[in-house]
Amino acid sequence: MYKLFLCFRYLTRKGIVIFPILAVWLCVSMLIVVYSIMTGFVDRVRDAGKELMGDVVIQSTLAAGFSHYDGLQKQLAKLPCVAATAPVISTYGIMNLPEYQTSAEVEVLGIKPALQSRVSSFGKSLFWQYRAPLDAAHDLRHAPFPVTGSQLVKYARGKLQAALEVFRRHELAIRKLKPIKGHGWIAAIEHHWHVIAREDYRQAEYHLNRVFRDLRFVQKLPPAAIIRSDAALRKELIPPAPTFEPPARARRDYPSLAAEPKYGCVVGIDIGLYTRDRFGHYHRPPGVRFSPVILTVVPITLSSTLASPQSHRFQIVDDSRTKVFTVDRHTVYAPFRVVQKMAFMQQQDLLSGGIRPARCSEIEIRVHDDQHQAAVNAARNQIAAAVRRYALKHPGMQSSGLTVMTWLQEQSQFIAAVDKERDLITFLLGMMSLVVIVVIFLIFFMIVRDKTRDIGIIKAIGGSEVGVGSIFVLYGLLISSAGTLMGVITGVLFVIHDNWIHDDILWRIFGITIWNRRVYIFSRIPDQVNPETVVTIALLAIVAGLLGAIIPALIAASRDPVHALRYE
Amino acid sequence: MANLLELIDIKKSFRMGTEEVQVLSGANLAIAEGEFVALIGASGSGKSTLLHIAGALDRPDSGSVLFKGRDIMRCGFFERYRFRNRNVGFVFQLYHLLPELNVLENTLLPAMVAAPWYKALIRARPGKALAIQMLTDMGLGGRLKHRPNELSGGERQRAAIARALINRPALLLADEPTGNLDPRTGHGIIDLLIRRRREENCSMLLVTHDVQIAQLADRVVRLEDGKITPA
Repeated sequence: MYKLFLCFRYLTRKGIVIFPILAVWLCVSMLIVVYSIMTGFVDRVRDAGKELMGDVVIQSTLAAGFSHYDGLQKQLAKLPCVAATAPVISTYGIMNLPEYQTSAEVEVLGIKPALQSRVSSFGKSLFWQYRAPLDAAHDLRHAPFPVTGSQLVKYARGKLQAALEVFRRHELAIRKLKPIKGHGWIAAIEHHWHVIAREDYRQAEYHLNRVFRDLRFVQKLPPAAIIRSDAALRKELIPPAPTFEPPARARRDYPSLAAEPKYGCVVGIDIGLYTRDRFGHYHRPPGVRFSPVILTVVPITLSSTLASPQSHRFQIVDDSRTKVFTVDRHTVYAPFRVVQKMAFMQQQDLLSGGIRPARCSEIEIRVHDDQHQAAVNAARNQIAAAVRRYALKHPGMQSSGLTVMTWLQEQSQFIAAVDKERDLITFLLGMMSLVVIVVIFLIFFMIVRDKTRDIGIIKAIGGSEVGVGSIFVLYGLLISSAGTLMGVITGVLFVIHDNWIHDDILWRIFGITIWNRRVYIFSRIPDQVNPETVVTIALLAIVAGLLGAIIPALIAASRDPVHALRYE
Repeated sequence: MANLLELIDIKKSFRMGTEEVQVLSGANLAIAEGEFVALIGASGSGKSTLLHIAGALDRPDSGSVLFKGRDIMRCGFFERYRFRNRNVGFVFQLYHLLPELNVLENTLLPAMVAAPWYKALIRARPGKALAIQMLTDMGLGGRLKHRPNELSGGERQRAAIARALINRPALLLADEPTGNLDPRTGHGIIDLLIRRRREENCSMLLVTHDVQIAQLADRVVRLEDGKITPA
């Protein structure tokens, strides 16, 4: 009992204990913040990777692809584990935008959009065909349901009017700002206010554009249609399946293209046509959508030689954001049949009289139970067996060059790299946190020296060696527990509010941007805390505190009371 | 009267650099129950060492320390700690109060060491009422919450005496308790010690340089050349 009592007295009446508490606090806080944010980042990368393709993918090791894919798809559809399949043509080429006088190297993916959105999140990655109507439905979720189409247009106009008022107010406020002359703090603060006003102005502008876009969406609804809820509105606004077909308006806007057969294409969001602000919003200039694009691909023959380049004109109908930067930076999606033809992978009549069957680069497959990796792995094995069986019946499909992989195997290099980065950073920070043990050891060593006479007194009044030692062990436990508790509270609060701290404190007050949303693929800093991680870090910190205290405690316990009493 | 403490043929030497210094060379002393013995001797003659051995704070090189006929040097570690806590009260020249604790807490510390941990769940502080009464009797009623550095030398020594007596020990060992005080305060402290010893009916071994103080004891012994002789 006296041990705990003395611990509390030493804790509350010795100022020096603030240093080990601070050390533990900072280390625990730092580890929780870094590990949580990095884990959030890894999870998002993993989720994005999973959504990018089907659960299982059949690929050819030959650049020329593999044949009999349609028959194989039919066979696979019979497997109970398979929910959907989609063929994909993958080839490389150049994207040229004649109106912008720019070109870029791209990976051209030939897909069947309706099928593709059943196996991957392609449909949900589209802005104009999914994200924007979803946002519009979200913005209008407070409409007085049930409403008719025309009433909804009126409601959306009201929202537009309100957004316009805010925008005008900001515009007036910014016009009133005078150039600041002079130096010192006041000028600096005024400068900051100026920046803030500009940021608010940009936000107001963004909001205005958005509600204007919402109005355009609801204007497409039949005026007499009755919409009963925001869910029904979502259903009305989002097309049932994505398409590459440019709307009639696009033909009207670009009469020069009217004479040619037109196909739409979808470009990756980061391909360089759009700018991104510090809030992570993409700004889509009005002219980009429906503007013409010339795609040139170099077909690869069955003998892996290059054929003459093939070009085709397309119109940009949408943009896709998979949140995997390399994909969004370099990918253009176009209709399967068109890309297949450009890549010389369509069915061909041979001079010898036979036919060469059509080919594709891969088949992406969605399985029924895609939540459990074990089920995906089992499905992968069943699919691999089915592919082998099918290949035996069709010797021409070059089955030896086929691989069947789960999404995790396919993405393993990328995900494993991010995983390892997180572990490496955590390990390095953990090593740095060893300093806690050293700080506690040094301070405890000093305290034990300082308390030498007290140790003699405690032993003189009947305190045992175990008792004296446990005073210092308990003392270490209390210090590390206090630091850990503070670290857990501040670390968790920091992670939960990291976006607010970053945007409203670091940026608004100090003008600092750490998470630059122009650069990162995710707009928000991960803000999820894993309780298991917090508990593990807390326990490790307490153990570290105990380790630091244990040697000084042993020294204290072994002090000779007579010498201790004579200690000056 | 039966002997409470017997020191038989106590030998103790210390190493000073390369030299071995024999401090006690066969010291013998017996203290009866309730007896007050004053131990005098020159500086460095080994008085404090003998006192520490008597209180089981130090171990002799050879010889026996019998407490109520039982050799405490043959007891285990924990038994010796318990012996010190229950049967011995130390009063030091330099008071040796814990600076982080106030007067009341310093006084209660031996009682807290004696109390098993679960008693803390039943009572806030074992022996608190006794400690307050004792400190009030000693004129420290208004100083209970004061820390040692806020007290005068005499007050600190009175607090140290209260701490030594809180577990009602059978033996009080006082190592020059007036050595750091002016004569007037010192005599006050000795009067207090003698009074409290009578009230508690405990034996006392008092180490002192002051012959006047020594004469207040029932018996005076001298430590000379490592041996005890009647003064």
